[in-house]
Amino acid sequence: MEKTQKSTKRLATARELRQIVADFYLEGHQAKQAGKPIGWMPPMNGLIEIFYAMDLMPAFPENWSPVCAAFGLIDKNFQTAEEMGFSRDLCGYMRNNVGYIHGLMGVEGVPLGGLPEPDMVFLPGGGCIPTMKNFQYIARRFPEAKVFKADLPQVPIENIQRYHIDYAISEINRIIDFLTEVTGRKLDHDRLKEAVHLSDQACALWDEIMSYRRHKPTPLSAAEIGLMFVMVTRQGTQIAVDYLTRVRDEVRERAEKGIGVIADEKVRLYWDNIPLWYNLGLFNYFERFGGVVVAETYSAAWSIRLDVDKPIEALAMKSLMSYPMVSCVSMKRRKEMVLRACRDYSIDGAILHSNKSCLPITLGQMDIERALLEELGIPSVIIEADHMDPRNFSIAQFEERVNPFMEMLLSRTSHTSR
Amino acid sequence: MSPIDLSPFVDAVQERAERLRQYAEKQKVFGWFCTYTPIELIHAAGFLPVRIYGGATPIKLASTLVPDFVCPYMRTSLERALRGEYKYLSGIIQGYTCDTPCGIINIWEENAGPGLFHSVPLPYNTTESAISFYRQTLTELIQKLASYGGKTDADSLERSLDLYRDIRNCLLHLHQLRFQNRLALSAGEFYTVAEAGFSLPPDVYLKHLHNLISALGEENTRNIGIPVIVSGSLLEDTTVFDLIESAGGKVVADDLCNGYRFCYPADGVGADPTERLIDRYMHRFPCPSRSVIGDRVNHVKELIKQSGAAGAIFLFQRFCTPHLADYPALADELKKDGIPVLQVETDETVSNRGQLKTRFEAFFEMIGV
Repeated sequence: MEKTQKSTKRLATARELRQIVADFYLEGHQAKQAGKPIGWMPPMNGLIEIFYAMDLMPAFPENWSPVCAAFGLIDKNFQTAEEMGFSRDLCGYMRNNVGYIHGLMGVEGVPLGGLPEPDMVFLPGGGCIPTMKNFQYIARRFPEAKVFKADLPQVPIENIQRYHIDYAISEINRIIDFLTEVTGRKLDHDRLKEAVHLSDQACALWDEIMSYRRHKPTPLSAAEIGLMFVMVTRQGTQIAVDYLTRVRDEVRERAEKGIGVIADEKVRLYWDNIPLWYNLGLFNYFERFGGVVVAETYSAAWSIRLDVDKPIEALAMKSLMSYPMVSCVSMKRRKEMVLRACRDYSIDGAILHSNKSCLPITLGQMDIERALLEELGIPSVIIEADHMDPRNFSIAQFEERVNPFMEMLLSRTSHTSR
Repeated sequence: MSPIDLSPFVDAVQERAERLRQYAEKQKVFGWFCTYTPIELIHAAGFLPVRIYGGATPIKLASTLVPDFVCPYMRTSLERALRGEYKYLSGIIQGYTCDTPCGIINIWEENAGPGLFHSVPLPYNTTESAISFYRQTLTELIQKLASYGGKTDADSLERSLDLYRDIRNCLLHLHQLRFQNRLALSAGEFYTVAEAGFSLPPDVYLKHLHNLISALGEENTRNIGIPVIVSGSLLEDTTVFDLIESAGGKVVADDLCNGYRFCYPADGVGADPTERLIDRYMHRFPCPSRSVIGDRVNHVKELIKQSGAAGAIFLFQRFCTPHLADYPALADELKKDGIPVLQVETDETVSNRGQLKTRFEAFFEMIGV
């Protein structure tokens, strides 16, 4: 097993993130103490904006998993889950969460105080199977919590039709009714509009930040992927907008001044699939070859815009688009997206993470690999790993594959530059 | 071996590929993976819906397109498609259930298309708006089938619903006989009968089922083993059932995709055929990919009660996320009821048969004591 490796960050604003993370978890515990209802929910849908608009506190077990990886809690959580009978072939997010709620949850000394207990649990219909099952186990663990079974059409983005949107809207309206009934709070539609507006601003800033990565040298690499925390947990709030504005300013300044992630950028890389949360330092590994991970699939989940004039419909669209964009639901669209990113960001080579913990994103990778080579002449390397479970990752095997790949890219880029 | 003539079913399974190739020359054939696929609608459009067969076969081509941690059924099915064995299919229609078939369909279309490849986005809820949404997904499917020459109307759908209802009723009759220990078929034979239905034209299959039911007596069979329920996804190779029954067990019920989950309930109710179809699929025996664990536990417990199963064998295809994910809660609930459980993982080739037999024997010995 490889030890947890943190990434080396270059942005000053990235160092603010530690406090933002701590504040989010602290706010959750304070909310619990103050009697503000807590809802556990999956990310990448329109629930978060409704929660913030109704002054409720969301919690994201999937986001807690990378935090567990960063704090070294995953060994214990996996052990608990496996003792309960969960197979190691299951998604690491799910195993980590189930292990946590049956083990370390409530234990004193857990970093950030862990997750505050839920008053409500949202069971997703749609998304991937492990996410659905994860929340079903959460609901079983907290029988006092009110449960809402949500539904969402699983449809490729390119096939979204009016009736899909209408059903997603009807589900959002059901959620609002549920929240009103359970919490006694009424949704103020002006506040919802404001939350959607803030989400839209965050997405626009996100896109702008990503756009500066087209500069050579790139001012921002995947080693700073932790920025995504605000997109997962703080969409619909001023906190996300303010933070991303500061990040944007810093990234823009670095781009304008030509300050790269590393002094001598030679190879621009693309990363497909979820990062190794227990080893974000892997993104720095490529730097010894002059390589920088300039773009990645995962960040595209937030590259959407929300129609502020139709807030409920905007949230329905967000729910319909975010997950399929980075999964196999819409393989054609994902392939197009990867190819476009590789063009836009002047990518020299792609790292395709074959992720034992996430089959939906992994399926289709070999078609993407072929398309990159045939259509753009961009070579790829597939590395076998796992976004949560370090037992499914070998740094020796990684180096064995990546080192010659990087050498090959270096020889290609030096040849091109001549 | 049963004295009953099972050759119509055995032949249908063994000659499946050649028969379907010939059939496709006169009528379009569409493949499906999952029992949530509204096959009645495909049939009502004038096409033959057939379940895609994976089966035991060496994996070569599929390894170049999907990783090893894909369930064997999906890998072998894709392998056959890449080899050109499914050229007779005009496409795949799939009820969106598990993530894996959804991804495999995309890869199949990309590498072994063209054709009609469509995942129906089924609702998870049963609210009024979910029913309305379901109806619209079916309307879209009808339109897609129409673009391939399909002609569906209320009468044709009614006829298809009746046909599949009759088939399911026949199969449920066999399940009932098995619950009561009055079915003179081994488990291997039983699932061969079921398997034949996934590729035969439904009217032909129904005739075979009627003949079989007439030929089968309803006398008590000798109690030849410890009664067990088998739970899992899809078990295409009947070897595993033979192993169970030769190790001292008797399969009296199942929670399988190619068993009870395909046929219960036989029919739905509704003011029109579409509503009838929706009602059936919304209230059918649940698969873990479409249900909440607690609801499913109750269904499985009811089957155990009806069949008198003394133990539960969970037979999973490797990497089957929905079943592996439900297992800890389901096993826990059964153990609380005093039902011993055994979990084993296998693949399409049942390559670990020696090991499996030993485990089954130990399990039955434990229950027997």
